[in-house]
Amino acid sequence: MSGHYGQFDIRWGMVIDLDKCTGCGACMVACQAENNVAIQTDASNKRLVTNWMLVFELSNGKSFPDHEVAYLPRPCMHCGNPSCVAVCPATVTTKDEEGGIVSQIYPRCFGCRYCMASCPYHARYFNWYDPVWPEGMEKTLSPDVSVRPRGVVEKCHFCHHRWMQAKDKARVAGEDPKALPQEAYQTACTQACPNGAITFGDLNNPEHTVHELAHSEYAFRLLERLGTEPQVYYMSRREWVRRAGDNYLADEKTGSVKNEHHS
Amino acid sequence: MEEKNTMNPGVKSCTCGALVAPFVVGLIGALIVGWWLFPPLLYSKKLQPVRFSHVVHVEDGGMACSDCHFNREDGSFSGIPNTGKCAECHAEPMGEDPEELRFVEEYVATGKQVEWVRYQVQPDNVFFSHAAHSVEACGSCHPEFEENPRELCNKCHPDVGGSDSAPAAQVNRITGYTSMTMKMWQCERCHANENHFELTEEDEAKHIKPVTRANNGCQVCHK
Amino acid sequence: MGIDRRSFISFLAGGAVGTLVTPIPWKLTDDISIWTQNWSWIPKNPEGASEYVPTVSKLCPSGCPVRVRTVGGKPVGVRGNAEHPYSRGGVTPLAAAEAELLYSPARVRRPLRRTPDQAYVAISWDEALAILEEKLGAIKGYRGKLAMVSGDPDGTINEVFSAFLAKAGSADFYLMPGEAQVAAKAWNDVMGGQGAVGYDIGNSDMVLAVGADVLESWGQVVRNRKAFADKRPHGEKPKAKYVYAGPVQNNTAAGADAWVPINPGTEAAFLLGLTYQVLKEGFRVDAAPDFDEFKTFVMSNFAPQNVQRVTGVAATTLVAVAKDLLRASAPLIVTGSEFGQGGGGAAMVAGLALNLMLGGLNRKGGLQALPDMPQVVSGAKDAKGLRSADLVAYLADVDKGRTPLPEAMLFYEANAAYGLPEASKAAATLAKVPFKASFSVFFDETAAMSDLVLPVPLGMERWDDICTPYGSGEVNYQLARQVIEPVFEAVNAGDVFLALAAKLGMSLGYSSFRQVLEAKASAIGADLDALQEGKPFTAPAKVTQYALRMNPGVLAKAIKDADKGGDIALAPVFYLRTGTGSTAVPPFNLKTIRDTELLGKESFVQLNAATAGKLGLREGDRVSLSNEAGTCAARVHINEGVMTDAVAALLGFGHTAFDAYSQGKGDNVAKVMKTRFEPGTGIPVWAGAKVKIAKI
Repeated sequence: MSGHYGQFDIRWGMVIDLDKCTGCGACMVACQAENNVAIQTDASNKRLVTNWMLVFELSNGKSFPDHEVAYLPRPCMHCGNPSCVAVCPATVTTKDEEGGIVSQIYPRCFGCRYCMASCPYHARYFNWYDPVWPEGMEKTLSPDVSVRPRGVVEKCHFCHHRWMQAKDKARVAGEDPKALPQEAYQTACTQACPNGAITFGDLNNPEHTVHELAHSEYAFRLLERLGTEPQVYYMSRREWVRRAGDNYLADEKTGSVKNEHHS
Repeated sequence: MEEKNTMNPGVKSCTCGALVAPFVVGLIGALIVGWWLFPPLLYSKKLQPVRFSHVVHVEDGGMACSDCHFNREDGSFSGIPNTGKCAECHAEPMGEDPEELRFVEEYVATGKQVEWVRYQVQPDNVFFSHAAHSVEACGSCHPEFEENPRELCNKCHPDVGGSDSAPAAQVNRITGYTSMTMKMWQCERCHANENHFELTEEDEAKHIKPVTRANNGCQVCHK
Repeated sequence: MGIDRRSFISFLAGGAVGTLVTPIPWKLTDDISIWTQNWSWIPKNPEGASEYVPTVSKLCPSGCPVRVRTVGGKPVGVRGNAEHPYSRGGVTPLAAAEAELLYSPARVRRPLRRTPDQAYVAISWDEALAILEEKLGAIKGYRGKLAMVSGDPDGTINEVFSAFLAKAGSADFYLMPGEAQVAAKAWNDVMGGQGAVGYDIGNSDMVLAVGADVLESWGQVVRNRKAFADKRPHGEKPKAKYVYAGPVQNNTAAGADAWVPINPGTEAAFLLGLTYQVLKEGFRVDAAPDFDEFKTFVMSNFAPQNVQRVTGVAATTLVAVAKDLLRASAPLIVTGSEFGQGGGGAAMVAGLALNLMLGGLNRKGGLQALPDMPQVVSGAKDAKGLRSADLVAYLADVDKGRTPLPEAMLFYEANAAYGLPEASKAAATLAKVPFKASFSVFFDETAAMSDLVLPVPLGMERWDDICTPYGSGEVNYQLARQVIEPVFEAVNAGDVFLALAAKLGMSLGYSSFRQVLEAKASAIGADLDALQEGKPFTAPAKVTQYALRMNPGVLAKAIKDADKGGDIALAPVFYLRTGTGSTAVPPFNLKTIRDTELLGKESFVQLNAATAGKLGLREGDRVSLSNEAGTCAARVHINEGVMTDAVAALLGFGHTAFDAYSQGKGDNVAKVMKTRFEPGTGIPVWAGAKVKIAKI
């Protein structure tokens, strides 16, 4: 929970259990529908495709029949030390709100893409095209997230609007919007996953499942030695999967790159 | 002007003086154009498609503001009621007013929605929570709002609560926003004010608990 | 009087300075910047109150329970239903895309009639009904002249269709091929079992999936996956063991504790190899009089080394899996085809027999024999009759002239021209039928060859139901609720058939399809209000078995079934994310397809490096897969998760109809799914077809 961007009482985070993910893609589809991510007729040129959530395929690198496969869903890591925030010349992306969600404000963005270059997780996407839906399909857009035009960068925001809605619901019900129970605010991908691979909650709150899971001996974060301090954790009982989370030298012990977090 | 036309090459200083006048004319002209003529040109006037009287509903009908404008259970705000809500009373005409008759015939009978003109509407990239800016929340420090809730609403919305017919909206011809659409700096008067929710000892003694802390995080207001 | 140059400049300067202290430049600059943020062609967010309407997806073959979110009464998305006991909020990648498909460019928007020059013209529903009345009226009462194919595997609407056909004198009502038919033939016909086959995955502590892709596409898949998730607490030793046996390391293999690679089409040998191990421990099935005969057959043919030769599974692995089964308190063997169709009867019989031997019949976490639901439309085919009717066999007979070519064929959400095995041949056979009418949500390949195309409402636009889908462990019934009025001129096909029946003077006893659904709910004793709230109706009833047969004679013949058409075995893979034959790929789902699965207009097949090396192929090479049934083009992707001498190929590509999101992308693997009739059982099988792979 260290970081140059302040201490937060609430730290929204995710723990993704890679032993449970079977790579079906439900999270990716649910994310697009929830966040009005533009569709593309040809989505096979991956450099031009926008994926707030992307499921990567991991291989243990061995030949048949010793081959193993794992799937790794990748949202924005909402780093404790986000490199994107430091490089943004327009204050488009900040980590300035309780909860520690790294924001992205589309009307401010002029598309320089420094943030994309700086993000070690490739979690940011540039809109090469204006979003176009076939006639009528725009009526099925979600009301919660604005539609982004061509020329701006976009990314996962942990379904931030759902948090705002959960807080408003709590306010109307006379409850404390700062003490939301875990189920009050869940991201679209978390809910959609039929395998329960994604757990979402406040990493600082011992009553939230993520708090315990993030401390599991099997938990790790991607590219930890960069010091980005992601708020997204992964876990796997398989050592080769944990090793895939960073660039290990042959003689380095798995987990040796871990930056002990101080929560 | 007389002097200016007089050919007198010996008096050069006069030329400078003679140039002041057109400068002033231009200046004043520009000021007149800029402050008086330009603003009305920039905005078009848009009237409500149905004449609606708040007076009739509130004073004669005895309705409360919150009968139509309320926070839904899910935390969102109802805004302007839809035809279905109006039809709860106006399934049949309740009075003699020809405008009401027209409303019932054109909208209630067909289920068509009224394209109400909104005076204060924010673009899609703005998230505004009415629940967070409620009379209870703001009134906890500003008792005047508790006494007169309309005063809080009127911080952003036109004071139509006591009007017999809704005023025309001023719609910007370039942006499509209304003249009342708030700018970010207006939100920041509170949001960027670090002391806005600083609780005094007195407040704490009164057990005042702000519903939330002011936060100027970008995504607090943007979606 | 006049204005000289200097004073004019002075005037302008005054104007300029004055303008700077007016709002003109500043307000305009600001307004223009705002203007650039709100382009007219960028869609706006909808407004209104949110509601969440519970229903079940009729788009997804798994019948995924969902809640449709509406804003101002219009659907804006599909979420899981957290209160539903089966899915608990989980949703499949196909069901999650349903809202955007409301306005899919591929939707049939109004009734269409094909003109002699092959163009489609819009007609009214009255005209469409008149054409149907004329065509069907002329052949009414003649046997063999009318056939129908339904793509709905488990809806009561099939009763309306089959009763309609029966009244019109036709017995040729078929479902699109699926696992349920194979299971029914194995269980009811070969083994003499009663009721329908079900699997209680949720209560099993050792699930052996042989072929069946239980964590991706098989059965009520979200329910299976919730059961899987329940048994795997984060970071702890799993509470149930999952083993997947199949030629490809698919999504089930990725989640399972162990993947046992077996050669495509050798599931029966693998299962009998396990049976051998179990028999050694003295297990038996007392209810089967021919058990000893069966035992002798297995013990003399399926010793580990024999099995290894056929299946490619090492003897030690086989013994280890058998030990896991014997150790478990509620072992369950789920047999199926990797791609949900075309599996062999022998494998199914072997899988069912192994369950019986392990005491799994009607046991918690075991194999279930489920009673069929009462029928409500008189004259309809019963559930058993529906399951035993075989479309592939029927079309083969038509093709060979053993059965007369029907004069009219009707299709309901069935993309037979694309999805049947030997797709090109099947399409050619269908093309010969003089009159075809397709009732379809989307303009699919079958619609594109039909004389009449009639729009069907999308799942969320219609009332419908799901009766005990194949794969579930108990009798259950769910209502699909209409969330909005159809956005185009679509009419529920149930209502169309009821109206048509009335016109043809053969009343089916109902005036609307909703009445049929209400009658169904009442016949099974379900509470309609609860159903409408999205709650499933379940019944604990199981069918007791009296005279089961292991039928080793049939098994002995069937086990010899193997395709010898080529060197490489085809292992099709079916992901829900790439859609079904009737849905094609929804626009959102395109992004879930990797660039090693589809790149531009070319799809990939996957081989491991050893196989590719043998064939002299490298990553990215363009190849053709061919056999007697047809040819399919693809590029090569090296994947070590594919068995040696097997080629994995994704279903769902190569559409020629639908819209720009699916059309012309890749090639259809169904074209090389060569069909053979399994000796003994007579079941048409197209799993384990062989292909020749050549570089092009």
